[in-house]
Amino acid sequence: MPLHDTRYQHWDGAHLGIWRRRATIARNALKGCWQNKWTRYVVSVCWTLSLTQAMVLFLIGQLLVKDSSLYDWVDQLHPQMQALVRSFVAWLEVNPKISVGVTQSLLFSVFGWPLRILTLVAIALAIPHLVTRDLGSQAITIYAAKALTRMDYILGKLGGLLGLMALTWLGPLLAAWFVGNLLGPSWHFFWHSRAALGAVLLYVGPAMVFLGLLALGISAISAQEKATVSIWIGLWLLGNSLVPIARETRAWLKYASLTFDLDQISLAIFDPVAHIRVAQENVPLVGMLLQDLPARKLAVWAHPELAGALIGLGIMLAAALFILYLRIKPE
Amino acid sequence: MFAAMSGVVIEARDLGKDYGRVKALDGVTLEVSPGTIGLLGPNGAGKTTFMKCLLQLIPFNRGSATLLGRDVGREGREIRRRVGYTPEQDGHIPGMVGCEYVTYCAQLCGLPFSAARQRAHEMLDFVGMGQERYRKIETYSTGMKQRLKLAQAIVHDPAIVFLDEPTNGLDPRGQVQMLELVQSLWRDHGITVVLSSHLLHDVDRICEQIVIIARGQVLVHDRLEALKARRPGSAEVVLASRQADLVQACGRRQWPAELLPNGHVRVEHRAADLNPLLRLLHEMDLSPIEIIPSPNALEELFVQALETAHAPA
Repeated sequence: MPLHDTRYQHWDGAHLGIWRRRATIARNALKGCWQNKWTRYVVSVCWTLSLTQAMVLFLIGQLLVKDSSLYDWVDQLHPQMQALVRSFVAWLEVNPKISVGVTQSLLFSVFGWPLRILTLVAIALAIPHLVTRDLGSQAITIYAAKALTRMDYILGKLGGLLGLMALTWLGPLLAAWFVGNLLGPSWHFFWHSRAALGAVLLYVGPAMVFLGLLALGISAISAQEKATVSIWIGLWLLGNSLVPIARETRAWLKYASLTFDLDQISLAIFDPVAHIRVAQENVPLVGMLLQDLPARKLAVWAHPELAGALIGLGIMLAAALFILYLRIKPE
Repeated sequence: MFAAMSGVVIEARDLGKDYGRVKALDGVTLEVSPGTIGLLGPNGAGKTTFMKCLLQLIPFNRGSATLLGRDVGREGREIRRRVGYTPEQDGHIPGMVGCEYVTYCAQLCGLPFSAARQRAHEMLDFVGMGQERYRKIETYSTGMKQRLKLAQAIVHDPAIVFLDEPTNGLDPRGQVQMLELVQSLWRDHGITVVLSSHLLHDVDRICEQIVIIARGQVLVHDRLEALKARRPGSAEVVLASRQADLVQACGRRQWPAELLPNGHVRVEHRAADLNPLLRLLHEMDLSPIEIIPSPNALEELFVQALETAHAPA
């Protein structure tokens, strides 16, 4: 027998605002993604990479500490490597404003790449939890019958996906930056690396919103989970395969690859070639080591095809929004 | 403050909805006062479309409508905050357990989490769900799913609730329990109920007002009592014996009467009340076990309305 009154009782409390209701949808979407063990594995790998990046920053910082035990290890290296490390340390000491920023920007470029791949994998795992299942189970009608609009639903689901991407991409990068600089020998490292941090926010933030809306659109294409996951993987991998084909046939085909387009934007924002050149000029041994980089590759990196990439991404985004407009409704 | 208490909860003016060339709603105009409202019609008549238009789940093409005094076209979100809806299909979120689902639905309506969780358990108690609330919804029977749908529709304490075929798939006992629950919403708690069904018995049992829709048009809208009063008086008399005597006595008074296969005597006494029939039974010294007034009135009205609608102009 129930311990409380089981009759119907009226409720006259205050209602929460619309942003709290959207946050409820976001939390539920993220919870749905988190229930998949493979998603948890992917997030673990992302945070392992973050820890690695923080450790690299910590070790670079330790090189500036005079009596660091790290030098015992450096002394055991090959003479050429020792020279490289010492000239790098000299650069850090003489011109920290530039050297810290350049180093961290290059590290963000290096670690951001695998994190983006892992984010695309996490999205593939999350796609069924976004719109697909709601279409399949007709839960979309339940959402529509509540005090929500179509926009509330989309924003809520997007919030859940952004939360997931914050765990796999932006969060690990920011954590690595924060922990790496926190363990550095000087608080100035935070300030000197502000440009690198800004580049991360400028690139990863909009890229997350783009990927989130694109994934939502693909998730809404079908009520069949296998179909929407296949479309996402197809768009990702088949798009990649178009890049070499485009070199031999029609150049514009490469813009159909979302990773190629994101790469171009990343190159434009992080500008790794400029940073490599600064490093080459200041650390002669770096210049010697990197002189073997193919000139063609550097030229490609130095001149990203920003306009074409933005148009390509814009077309994909428009298609995703159109699908959402058509599909997010009760019937 | 909503206008639920002011006398009209639903107002539609020339409401129209087209699916291509098909007119799902064709100039629906009506005013509905609070209570239990039965929305009747054959399959494909436009009942669900009418409800969905009122809830703004689908846009209408013509006319205007207000629900609880608010404009349906412009205040959809505010309206739905005070409205509950159980669709005909399941609509559950896969992977959730029952109480989690109802809590989530309450949160979507703006209840804070702690209040939502408490209300969810109260509503699951109200609809008669026990420990099965902690099981995944995919494992529920049809009856449990129907109860869960009702719980999610009323968890935020709506002023009006739309129920689309709520007894579908239930066994007779489950149907009775569900109808009693629905009936109590208005009778005991003042929540207006709009019950859409093609099952006349369900509507006859709990509804005070009847709206009959066919071919997207409202054919009949009145109180059930008034509708029954329009019909020539009839009753079913349940007797332990002497059924044939009663049939003969009715014949002498020019009242058509017949003995039904279940042993009841059906009498068309044509009076507004049962007094002439009771006098006859008294004169014959008969003690009926039960008298069922206007037993098939709603069914006859329904058929008559449909025939009128289908008749050539």
